Amino acid sequence: MDFETGDIVVGLMVAALGLLGLFLAARAWDDEMYLFGLALAGFAVLFDFGVVRRHFDRKDAALAARRAGHE
Amino acid sequence: MPGKIEKDSVTGTETTGHEWDGIRELNTPLPKWWVYVWIASIVWGIGYMLVYPSVPYGPGYFHGLLGYSSRSHVAHEVAEVDAKRDIYMKKIAAQPFSAIEKNPQLMQVAETAGAITFAENCQPCHGQGGEGRLGYPALAAGAWIWGGTLPAIRQTITYGIRSGDPQARDSQMPPFGKSGMLNAGQIQQVASFVWSKFYGHPTKGEDIAPGAKIFAANCAVCHGPQGQGNPAFGAPRLASHVHLYGDFRASIVRQVTDPRMGVMPNWNKRLDPATIKAVAIYVHDLGGGQ
Amino acid sequence: MSEHVLPARPVVYNDAVVKKFVIACLVWAIVAFLAGVYIASELAWPQLNIAPYLNFGRLRPVHTSAAIFAFGGSALIGTSFYVVQRTCRARLWGGEALANFVFWGYQIFIVLAASSYLLGFSKSREYAEPEWHLDLLLVLVWVCYLLIYLGTLMRRAEPHIYVANWFYLGFIITIAMLVIVNNLGIPISPYSAKSYSWFSGVQDAMVQWWYGHNAVGFFLTVPFLGMMYYFIPKAANRPIYSYRLSIVHFWALIFIYIWAGPHHLLWTALPDWTQTLGMAFSIMLWMPSWGGMINGLMTLSGAWDKLRTDPGLRFSVTAVGFYGMSTFEGPAMSIRSVNALVHYSDWVIGHVHSGTLGWVAFITFGALYYLVPNLWGRKGLYSVRLAAWHYWIGTLGIVFYIASMWVAGLMEGLMWRAYDRFGFLKYSFVQVVVAEHPFMVLRMIGGVLFTIGAILMIYNLWMTVRSPATEAPRAELLPAGLPAGAVVAGE
Repeated sequence: MDFETGDIVVGLMVAALGLLGLFLAARAWDDEMYLFGLALAGFAVLFDFGVVRRHFDRKDAALAARRAGHE
Repeated sequence: MPGKIEKDSVTGTETTGHEWDGIRELNTPLPKWWVYVWIASIVWGIGYMLVYPSVPYGPGYFHGLLGYSSRSHVAHEVAEVDAKRDIYMKKIAAQPFSAIEKNPQLMQVAETAGAITFAENCQPCHGQGGEGRLGYPALAAGAWIWGGTLPAIRQTITYGIRSGDPQARDSQMPPFGKSGMLNAGQIQQVASFVWSKFYGHPTKGEDIAPGAKIFAANCAVCHGPQGQGNPAFGAPRLASHVHLYGDFRASIVRQVTDPRMGVMPNWNKRLDPATIKAVAIYVHDLGGGQ
Repeated sequence: MSEHVLPARPVVYNDAVVKKFVIACLVWAIVAFLAGVYIASELAWPQLNIAPYLNFGRLRPVHTSAAIFAFGGSALIGTSFYVVQRTCRARLWGGEALANFVFWGYQIFIVLAASSYLLGFSKSREYAEPEWHLDLLLVLVWVCYLLIYLGTLMRRAEPHIYVANWFYLGFIITIAMLVIVNNLGIPISPYSAKSYSWFSGVQDAMVQWWYGHNAVGFFLTVPFLGMMYYFIPKAANRPIYSYRLSIVHFWALIFIYIWAGPHHLLWTALPDWTQTLGMAFSIMLWMPSWGGMINGLMTLSGAWDKLRTDPGLRFSVTAVGFYGMSTFEGPAMSIRSVNALVHYSDWVIGHVHSGTLGWVAFITFGALYYLVPNLWGRKGLYSVRLAAWHYWIGTLGIVFYIASMWVAGLMEGLMWRAYDRFGFLKYSFVQVVVAEHPFMVLRMIGGVLFTIGAILMIYNLWMTVRSPATEAPRAELLPAGLPAGAVVAGE
């Protein structure tokens, strides 16, 4: 499959951020750090799902365009 | 891509020849007035930095040709104001209250100095007009816990009450309830007595005789048999309409059980003696000075 | 002159991320303005301080951060992406994912910062209140923003970099430096949101106000000048007045602005020599700032009649006027003897808001009124009349705000220093506070008017995007000479 470099780099970076968030939340000393850690984790999940979605949306659009071109 | 240099029809100026997304730029020279004013501000800036303290070097800095220092500037201004005040404040410091009271000029100064000092220092606790708050004595009601003569007021301001100053006024209301000297039932009885007899709220059919006995045995020694109080050791007057902890029966119970004893700061470290005398005169004249 | 010469291959711009920032900017505008109205009301009626979440101390940074970073920042990042692509004829570097990360990462930073204030966390550094963990998140997002911007500039199809991009780039780089240095601190633990500043004492105050003034300079002035340098010539369809002036005033501005920080600390424990430098450089900053004003206004030569018909342009030009006023007021207030009167007074707040409402918000509104029909491929604005109403109500709000604060500030300064003939102060502090009350109310009314104007704008822009009345027919030219279809706006 053809991946955009940006997708991989950013996707991995955000995933690392999410894991860091879980780690911080687990050992948080105060409410703020707990909230921050969970927010980072939630953000990472949603954002990376978005990256995957856009990858497949682009694939589908390219496929549809190729089919339309052949007709 | 670089376009060609064109002449703008509106201004007659040529463009630079560059274009971005339709935007072009004219080759107008810098406005002369803008350049002159800017250069003038730079010249002024350099001059200002020569005259005033400016450039640091190593551990020191260039003090400027004027040798200006904001600290000495402030010290000079403070000295000026002090000199102005001293004209009358020295007299107020030197003369006794009786002499000041007979001198209208000195009284005017004392009232002015007293008013602003009161507004800046005393008003947060004692209220804008000296009306007091719960736990903070009223000064304008003629009800004095430690005495309302000018010398008495001056002493209270100077050394405070339970303030930690070696010459502070001090008094201790014994914790009758907390220490077990009186049990809960006795406290209720004496509270009923005080509430009815001294606070002026008699309850029909209530028997205050037991309370009266407890009062005579425990309280009268400080508060007086008629509840008239004793300014010599700061025992408040109970037979009154002015109450430090409010006109509530519950406050009497609370105070007998586990008394609150407020703190008045000592102002001798923050105000000079002349100013304290002025404040004493001002407070005395709020209405109710003795 | 207005014909746009298409390159051989049409560039596909990433306008999806610009649209996101435009929408975010509008949402945060309302949050920031409402928070401002609420805290203004609290100053007039302290009973509104409903502890702990609505206390003034917690809500104030919500307002300042929302106004500067959320509203201002979204406007800047969005317009900078729009402008850099078009003036470079290059698509944003880094791909969709990186651009989306800058958008969503920035938004989550804003939301987390605001919620941290409400929970009672703050470094208590003005405009730098977010604690260390949020600062690190911001730096990460900011580095990505810089990479996208630099990458786009480097792959440009134009040989030269347009002036607006120097301003935007200067902003991105300098803000990175300012934020990193001012927020240097030591967390008490990696697992706690509490930290202590690396600096202390008067040196700490200096670092904070070096930052604070340059937050105003490099966040609220320099990049908004970049915005002006694109949207005014586009809307007016006129060339920039003077290329030479743009070079000279740009370099002068970014060199001199950095030194002006001490003017926030005049008459404090800051050393005299530092105060002198701050004041002198603030005065020398006057003409470089006015260079931007001159270029902005004189670009209208030959197009002044457009002010009657284009409400967005009206906002932009008025903004430049307020900019000129504020950049004269600032140096004036930096003069030590003037500062002795106005320091700590409400005049400072009046000055801030003539800059933020008059310059920053108005130039943003001008850009938004131009951008929204363009980005969404509409014929034009849904209602020019509504935009005009916005303009007049907003301007009235600004006038209420500034005038009430000028009077309040002068009054405070004079009352605080009033002595009687015996040498005693005439007014106690509390008496001055009480005297301020009517002006606190008037200022709040100014804020309400300004917010109403913004609500009109949001409705107008919403209808511009959604209403069938503004749909552009397929073959029609969009405003500003962009042929339909050449710009594919992502999704």
